[in-house]
Amino acid sequence: MVRIFAIICPKCEKKFQVHYEDLRHKDIKLHCPYCDHWFMQEESKDIDDRW
Amino acid sequence: MNKSIHTYLQELNSRLPEDIITVTKPLNPANFDVSAILKHLEAGGLYPLMVFENALNLKGERSSFKLVTNVFATRQRCALALGMEPEQWKLNLSMEYARRERNPRKPEVIAQAGAPVKEVVKTGKDADLREFPIVKHHEMDGGPYIDMTVVAKDPDQGFYNIAFLRNQYKGPQNLGIHMSPRHNWTIFRKNEEKNLPTPVAIIVSHHPAFYLGALNVAPYGVDDYQLIGGIMDEPLRLVPSETWGDRFLVPADAEIVIEGEILPQVREVEGPFGEFPGTYGPQRYRPVIDVKAITHRKDAIYQDVFVGHRDNWILGGIPKEGSVFSAIQGVVPTVQAVHFAISGSCRFNCYIAIDKKVEGETKQAALMAMAQCDFVKNVIVVDADIDPFNEQEVMWAVATRVQPDNDIDIIRNIKANTLDPSLVHDIRGSKMIIDATIPVDRPFADRVNVPEEALARINLGDFISEEKMQCVPRFYDSVRSR
Repeated sequence: MVRIFAIICPKCEKKFQVHYEDLRHKDIKLHCPYCDHWFMQEESKDIDDRW
Repeated sequence: MNKSIHTYLQELNSRLPEDIITVTKPLNPANFDVSAILKHLEAGGLYPLMVFENALNLKGERSSFKLVTNVFATRQRCALALGMEPEQWKLNLSMEYARRERNPRKPEVIAQAGAPVKEVVKTGKDADLREFPIVKHHEMDGGPYIDMTVVAKDPDQGFYNIAFLRNQYKGPQNLGIHMSPRHNWTIFRKNEEKNLPTPVAIIVSHHPAFYLGALNVAPYGVDDYQLIGGIMDEPLRLVPSETWGDRFLVPADAEIVIEGEILPQVREVEGPFGEFPGTYGPQRYRPVIDVKAITHRKDAIYQDVFVGHRDNWILGGIPKEGSVFSAIQGVVPTVQAVHFAISGSCRFNCYIAIDKKVEGETKQAALMAMAQCDFVKNVIVVDADIDPFNEQEVMWAVATRVQPDNDIDIIRNIKANTLDPSLVHDIRGSKMIIDATIPVDRPFADRVNVPEEALARINLGDFISEEKMQCVPRFYDSVRSR
């Protein structure tokens, strides 16, 4: 698998996985698949992008 | 009558009626109801074809389309799809597929008036994806997904390519699409470099042989419509599309066709999506499809594949087995069988049986499998006394015929599959060959056996009553055949 990072949704606080090269450090809102919330990465309280 | 999912269901109902379960109670596919039913059945070792007569659409209303899924979850049903006997589900099925793959048929183009898929035509805002009972399969999926085949046409050479691709519902006329860097992606990139949209048609439902044919392993440049005609054993009937006329043809006997354009230079957030390995592919920044038209039969069936489960795995495995067998046969004529095991999602684990005559044939067979199909990651080569369709037998051979320091080879820095979650590079990985064959250049311990004469002479019924036999608990300590 390509490099991914895990991010916590600031609204529902559930974790989902995102493609690193496509979206990490990009000025693009992410979509929480659990609660349909759109948010910027800076709003998340926890991002795990270890590699 | 030309082949369609309707003709297949009639055949299945006649030949294997116990394989079909029809549910009439309303349920919501977009709220995991269908996935939960399939998962419960799977836990009980049951893989029926499911027909949901009253599934809700994305508007929350009863859809006018029946939902059919789990079509490919047994090899017996796939054999029936190719017009074979269900009992021919092992290598016969794969070899028949390979034979047909070598005999493509030129499609037949018909007028719109005679095309079942044109019975209902909707364009513009009337082409509304919310009419369909689109399934949300797994908890982390970014939304409901249409997970059937997408047709694209090479802009330079004019051949059609067909691939199973994930299409996320984003709006009544919008879908997100993810393409791995393979054939449809190549077509899209050719158009995008010229800032042109890529016409695509999503074939949501057709005869199962259509989809088995779509998963061929032919190289880029082979027309998939012709190849699918070969697999279906009849010319595929095509009809001009609503959006592009005879410049882009679509299958006339499909149930539902969604026509649209992948827009150049446009990307949106898409995913995550539960993929074939049984793990999630991450959220991505992917192209989008602008839907132009939807055409369908009046009594159209909406089809779905339960991705990441047997429905998805078996569908992908059968087309590869025959092709890999034929390739190996060219260098190791004594190859007996090839199987892409369920345990490897019918992609990653390839078991090959050979009647080894000289040392070194094992590795030749394994390397040929890897060269033929880049999905292959772990190859186990066994002797002819081992059934590669029986995973317990294969693992027994590994346990008793393999010394790891001598019989395992690792091939590094080779193209792998991007959806393999264990990769630490975008597409480059490693592969493993396990030689679980007996050496031919020295004596080796024989397997224990009961004399054939005794097995023929002793009849269980003479010693144990049928009543008692019925009470004995049954243990399936090998891979179930279905």
